[in-house]
Amino acid sequence: MRLDPVLLEILATKLTAAAEEMGNALQRSGRTMYVKETQDFGTGLVNHAGRLFAYPRGVGVIGMVDNDYSTVLEVIGELSPGDVVLTNHPFASGGLATHLPDLHLVKPYFAKDRIVGYGWCFVHSADVGGRVPSSISPSSHEIYQEGLMIPPVKIVCRGEPNRDMLAVMGANSRTSEENAGDLKAMLAALAVGERRVARIIEQHGVEAFEAAAVDVPAYSAAKARAAFRTIPDGTYEFWDYLDDDLVSPVPVRIHARMKVRDGLLDIDFSQTDPQVAAAFNLPSCGKRHTWLSLRLLQYVYTRDRAVPLNSGIFEPVTMTLPEGSLLNPVFPAAVGVRHATGNRVMDVLNGVLAAAVPDFMRAPGCGVTIPVVLAGPQTSDGDRQVMVVQLLSGGTGAMLGADGIDGRDPGTSGMSNNPIESIESSAPVMVHTYGVRQDSGGAGRWRGGVGLELTFSPKVSGCQVLARGMERHRFVPWGMAGGFCAKGSRTIKNLGRPDEQELGKIDVVDLEVGETITFLTPGGGGYGDPAERDPEAVLLDLKRGFISAQSARDDYKVVIEEGKVDHAATQALRATHVGRTAEAGTVFDLGRERLTWESLFSNDFMSRINSALSRLPPAARRSARRKIFAPVLPYLSPTGAIDAAGLVQARPAVERELAAFE
Amino acid sequence: MASAGRLDEAAADPAARATIGIDVGGTFTDFVLALPERQLVFHKEPSTPKDPSMAVHLGLKHLVDAHPALREARTRIVHGTTLALNAVLQHKVADIALVVSRGNRDVLEIGRARLPSSFDIHVAKERPIVPRDRILEIGGRTDADGIVMSRPGEAELDDLCARIRALGVGAVAITLLNSYVDATLERELVTAIAARLPDLLITSSSSVWPEIREFERTVVACINAQVHPLMEDYLATLAQRVDGAGITAALQLTSSSGGMLSVHSARARPIETMLSGPASGATAAAKLAKAQGIGSALTFDMGGTSADIAVIVDGVLEFTTTSRIGELPLMMPVVGVSSIGAGGGSIVSVDAHGIIKVGPESAGANPGPVAYGLGGIRPTVTDCYLVLGLIDPDGFLGGRIRLDKARAEVALQEVADRLNLPSAAHAAEAAISVATAQMATDLFKLLALKGHEPTTQVLMPFGGAGPTHANLLAEEAGLAGVAVPPAAATFCALGAALADVRRDFVAALGHARLIGLGDRLWDNWATLESEAKAWLAGEGIAILSQDLEYAADMRYAGQAHNLMVTVPASARTARDVSAVAQAFHQAHEAIYGFREDDAAIEIVAQRLSIIGRVPTFELPRTVAASRAGGHLRTRKVFHGGAWVEARVVRREELGSGTWLDGPLIVEQSDTTTWILPGWRLAADEVGVLNIERSR
Repeated sequence: MRLDPVLLEILATKLTAAAEEMGNALQRSGRTMYVKETQDFGTGLVNHAGRLFAYPRGVGVIGMVDNDYSTVLEVIGELSPGDVVLTNHPFASGGLATHLPDLHLVKPYFAKDRIVGYGWCFVHSADVGGRVPSSISPSSHEIYQEGLMIPPVKIVCRGEPNRDMLAVMGANSRTSEENAGDLKAMLAALAVGERRVARIIEQHGVEAFEAAAVDVPAYSAAKARAAFRTIPDGTYEFWDYLDDDLVSPVPVRIHARMKVRDGLLDIDFSQTDPQVAAAFNLPSCGKRHTWLSLRLLQYVYTRDRAVPLNSGIFEPVTMTLPEGSLLNPVFPAAVGVRHATGNRVMDVLNGVLAAAVPDFMRAPGCGVTIPVVLAGPQTSDGDRQVMVVQLLSGGTGAMLGADGIDGRDPGTSGMSNNPIESIESSAPVMVHTYGVRQDSGGAGRWRGGVGLELTFSPKVSGCQVLARGMERHRFVPWGMAGGFCAKGSRTIKNLGRPDEQELGKIDVVDLEVGETITFLTPGGGGYGDPAERDPEAVLLDLKRGFISAQSARDDYKVVIEEGKVDHAATQALRATHVGRTAEAGTVFDLGRERLTWESLFSNDFMSRINSALSRLPPAARRSARRKIFAPVLPYLSPTGAIDAAGLVQARPAVERELAAFE
Repeated sequence: MASAGRLDEAAADPAARATIGIDVGGTFTDFVLALPERQLVFHKEPSTPKDPSMAVHLGLKHLVDAHPALREARTRIVHGTTLALNAVLQHKVADIALVVSRGNRDVLEIGRARLPSSFDIHVAKERPIVPRDRILEIGGRTDADGIVMSRPGEAELDDLCARIRALGVGAVAITLLNSYVDATLERELVTAIAARLPDLLITSSSSVWPEIREFERTVVACINAQVHPLMEDYLATLAQRVDGAGITAALQLTSSSGGMLSVHSARARPIETMLSGPASGATAAAKLAKAQGIGSALTFDMGGTSADIAVIVDGVLEFTTTSRIGELPLMMPVVGVSSIGAGGGSIVSVDAHGIIKVGPESAGANPGPVAYGLGGIRPTVTDCYLVLGLIDPDGFLGGRIRLDKARAEVALQEVADRLNLPSAAHAAEAAISVATAQMATDLFKLLALKGHEPTTQVLMPFGGAGPTHANLLAEEAGLAGVAVPPAAATFCALGAALADVRRDFVAALGHARLIGLGDRLWDNWATLESEAKAWLAGEGIAILSQDLEYAADMRYAGQAHNLMVTVPASARTARDVSAVAQAFHQAHEAIYGFREDDAAIEIVAQRLSIIGRVPTFELPRTVAASRAGGHLRTRKVFHGGAWVEARVVRREELGSGTWLDGPLIVEQSDTTTWILPGWRLAADEVGVLNIERSR
């Protein structure tokens, strides 16, 4: 390190503050709900290596610390003072942008006539065109359907806005005015960063500034390494699933094998399934990626809350990502709903870490982040109001010594919800229920947090409801150390009425006045044998309605009579109980559908399938995979259930198909 | 008219009365007595945390004994207490029930869905202020247009009250959805519950603060209900203690908006007193800034655990609607006091990677800094001041606490060794520069949020450590200068004595177009005005005049975030809607850097503040005492990596018009002011120490 331990601390403080000031400025002047209420934006400072060396702690999204700007800087070439680069193109930006609504701006900061660093910000804009309002639909199967693609271009050239480009963007958005407002706010944020960097250089000199851009990440890297050394050396493996690939009910598997040696982590995603013909692909461009490494950042932070947030944290981590897979798709894969995949990667790495350090990790949370969107009726001039009714997550997993969090989940970002009163005053809907969902958390000595229920109906006709990132309908958040898995997602039209209808996952649903739609989200997994939970805690959960009387008795083995625990009867009931840990000899309670699925598609069998597929060119994998899984399709219900007997019958046919590719 | 009568009475003889400001702190209870003829008396009494009113009683007795005329004078006591705040922070509040609209039972469980940290795997959410088994749903629902969609029947109300009774609570809060638009249902419910359970204290959300957003409004209603019984008890005891001290006084309480209220109002809405402590000090600073002609000022209140700032523009404090009580949001407008990091007790350490850290841990008052000798072994910011020579070990808090400098040096030498620095003083200076950089960056973020320029700001320090650190912060942040008020260490009590009667009112509109409102805009304000005037008249406090201040929460259509904009009274008088729009465009441009004159403006809420001006008093003129012994005193201070010789003076020695250059130390019984080399001090006629850059 070139900086002394005092100047390093001072500059780390000032740089983080500069990134936060940028975030404050952006949030203050942004136009859309994404900026103001859900904080779906980011800011930071980037060094010569194209990596973040300063990132905010309390404003904007949390999940972009490992962003890689090197491709963008390479593609754009020489930059002049006053230039600002714009891109939203996942493949042309080297995975900086991960879906088209995310508009990323990068601005070179100069000292005298030399670039000393870059300011960055991004905003999730409300709409960038494409086939659906808000631009994102799970059923898109090519990125061309997801809106206007912008490879790295200069949106501002030597201080002059690129009006031609702005006109093209305006013509390709359903919300062009709001987007223009957000763009202004982003430029203001970059200017704030520029001023702050100039002041730091004025106070401490350009050498100290450039040294800090390297030394502060190096300091974080040392801290991260120390945190990772708490993981025993060894190899750990875990996998989890997306329920299906949308075009068929066949599950999509994400698999990770982590090798740990002296605080260095090597994570191999090679046994992950091929890219899909839906919008779930996560465009990492084959490099360690911010959406894949977020759980590791959280691990480091939880071990060492004083770590400065920057790219250094990831220095001890390497990743292998085979081309053509779900986590490294090739153009023109659709990527709009990559956050559903990102959520599942978090769960997979959670499982890998839980296998290594079970006393430290939580059971997984709900694993979903669902923006429920309402498209209002079309007006005479062709416009329609598109707004997020609510951003739904669910419960948080339990951990050794603590229950999960009810009705909230840190998920992939720290976004706020919308108050019912705000929704009703700005959208033509009536919210009937927005609350927690009983019994949805995994039972355990420490109970998983419960998920959510949202029920609403439109007040005018011609409305449509869209939801993205719907997951965990089939494969549920798993339990740990003898704790039970949580309840999965459900979507229901007209709940509690004679015409009640289980919708499963939805893309776009027409909803008429008088009809209701209900979203039920998963809880978090439980931790430890529920029959070891303090009976008084079970009673309190019952009184507060987080669990039902039936669960108190069946899952927790607690006998409650007239509002009191019958301790003698409880003891008797618990004496005959055999915990699931002992029963199954396993750490994880993976849920019925998963066990059923893996009775045929075991880890070994999936390795065989993926090995066979990986020998094919990426373009040929999709149809090959379809053939291999075709025999089981009749046994996979669209709402989640898997027919175990059917899988047994289908086995020979699957083997036959696979053999053809081996 | 009753209020006019009081106006005349106050105006007739404003000087013939005494005002006592009292601020109850953790260690000391401070008193400021303002007597006629520009006479101010300061007193500190050790606090009595088990029964805070006891220290009030003892302090008042002390003042009455010293000034027997008080027995005859018409006296006002303005009292600031953090009792309600502490009760909430320590979860020592009354059990209450909460009644909500069906489908909204989890308003507190879900909150705004955020968690304190998204990075922390082990994060936990705040404890819901009312547990779920005491939240009861009822079939009462209003829609966003204010139309009642459903009402509970008599049987349902009977059942509700039976359930409340079964819970055995003494107070209940009510929040029904959309009651900010129309409070009819909430009012009906209050009546229905009161009829069935007459002994219950009932708070309805619309009666305390009728603003959109059900979670935030519910929090306001619940906290109010929870501290209600506690404040009833405390205020009753306090009244007895005041009587017992031998004076007949009108008792008033300071509020979170920097004003004060009658005991009667404070009892009905104790939540309004919640954040009064820091607000009082800021109010005193604002008045002083105005008197001194300081346009842009920042208060800087640095005590043991944190440093707090507030922004003053042209003598007016900035308010915020996003303050917090612990982990809970407070949506009501309060003086915008924000923490900017370290206090005197913040701990200095070196991490496993050899990097210096200041805070976030604090040694607080117990064990306190190493130099207190109360068992603290980790050096603090105060230990740094001592080792650097900024404070005198024998003169701390008027000599009440003897500081052990050698002990502080040993602790900081360990830090120096780990950082490879040559001496304890080097380590102390490094720690102070880290702490100062933290404060400055937090300050910048805060100013950036409002679009203020740091270079024009004058820092107004108070609290025990404020004057010691102010010049350091001003230099690091590039501020214009520092103005140290007189009585900096009892400033909150002074603020209480200076407080005007004040209350804020709001009318929420949902999302309306400004242009489309028509007469409704003016009708709403007229309604608020009559409500406010009736309230002020009912306060029974003698005032000189009353002011009305107008504001509105507005935004461009399509924006999701509102801006609270001051509306000139002239716009209200002339019913000039374009002046309201102009005020918004201007404020938007000032804060966000752009305006959109063609865009439609939405108005979300209208606000009104009423201020009853009470007879004020002026700060006494200082008369310089002659220098003790007549010889020049100096002390070695470590600054910029070397020991420099700094002149030391007593504050009493500084008469109006004194000019002295830094390095300079000004000592007084309760704080020390440090003036850096390159800066100079000018004392003015009321004892304000102005510190600015030497030319």
